[in-house]
Amino acid sequence: MTELLIDPDIRVWVFLPIVLITFLVGIVRHYVSILISTQKKAEMTQIMDSQAMIRARLLRENGKYLSAQSFSMRKNFFNNEETGYFKTQKRAPVAQNSSAMLTDMVKGNFINVLPMVVIGGWINWMFSGFVTTKVPFPLTLRFKPMLQRGVELASLDAAWVSSASWYFLNVFGLRSIYTLVLGENNHADQTQAQADAMTGAAMTMPQDPKAAFKAEWEALEITEYHNALKNIDADMMSIANESSAS
Amino acid sequence: MNKVKTRLSKTGDIVAYSEGAIRNNISAVEYCRTSMAAISGCAAGILGLSATLGFLFYFISVFVLWIMVLMKSGTQWRKYFINRKNLLTNQFLGGLCTYVLFWTFLYGMVHVY
Repeated sequence: MTELLIDPDIRVWVFLPIVLITFLVGIVRHYVSILISTQKKAEMTQIMDSQAMIRARLLRENGKYLSAQSFSMRKNFFNNEETGYFKTQKRAPVAQNSSAMLTDMVKGNFINVLPMVVIGGWINWMFSGFVTTKVPFPLTLRFKPMLQRGVELASLDAAWVSSASWYFLNVFGLRSIYTLVLGENNHADQTQAQADAMTGAAMTMPQDPKAAFKAEWEALEITEYHNALKNIDADMMSIANESSAS
Repeated sequence: MNKVKTRLSKTGDIVAYSEGAIRNNISAVEYCRTSMAAISGCAAGILGLSATLGFLFYFISVFVLWIMVLMKSGTQWRKYFINRKNLLTNQFLGGLCTYVLFWTFLYGMVHVY
């Protein structure tokens, strides 16, 4: 089958351990990040601001289900030139609580970067210089430095994978497996954290309320009213007719 | 969570859907897809498929999963998903990554040593 004979002991003591270590480190990282993460404290005005922003956004998105009067009433509450919420609320930029930010950053680094470096380095040191496996598809010579890190053999076929590269293959390939094992919002993978930041729950505060208010005000100002339920009675009647006919 | 969102369909009328429910459906399909990629990768590795045959096997498995999901949702698929084509193409490369890992892993375990 293969043109290169590899000691079966490598399979038991190098190939398998790397898979297991990568997987288990991901799981440990998930639980450690749950353990040391703290609830963010928020101030009253910040929560008020972010809730107002959310209400304005909901109005923009779902305003079409309201009647025309209700829509303009709500829009007026936010955007009226004299009395609108976005016009009257004057907020100073939030002073950054620097020490809290710093601890957050240190924790993030502690969870994400440190294991990467430490475990990667340890794997490199512990299992260095083994040819572990062969990918079951042919590759060009360009892949040699990528897949054969730590084994510099000019005559070796590019399809063979060294132990260090096998570790990296595992790191990237196991991401979706974590989703399977740990559920949707796991912390085993650092890319998830950025996705969390994007979705923006009620607790996330805009950094500078004034700019955020301005942006939301603009967005709401250009929102036009379209009634989504214009034909709803006809639709309802057609469905009712269908179901009574069948 | 139970937000209602809308989008314009090709015919120009507005379709309303529940954001949370659609996201839940998509993540359920995602779950299936990852499982499918892992399982078919294992199968390909044990069978010892190599090169083109292995990749072909992945395409077939993705396609079979798509057919299975569509069969499950039946003629009412519009109730559960916005777009039928996205069901096939979403996360194609992510699944391939998982597939290749499992394929390589079991191929190595069974055939290399």
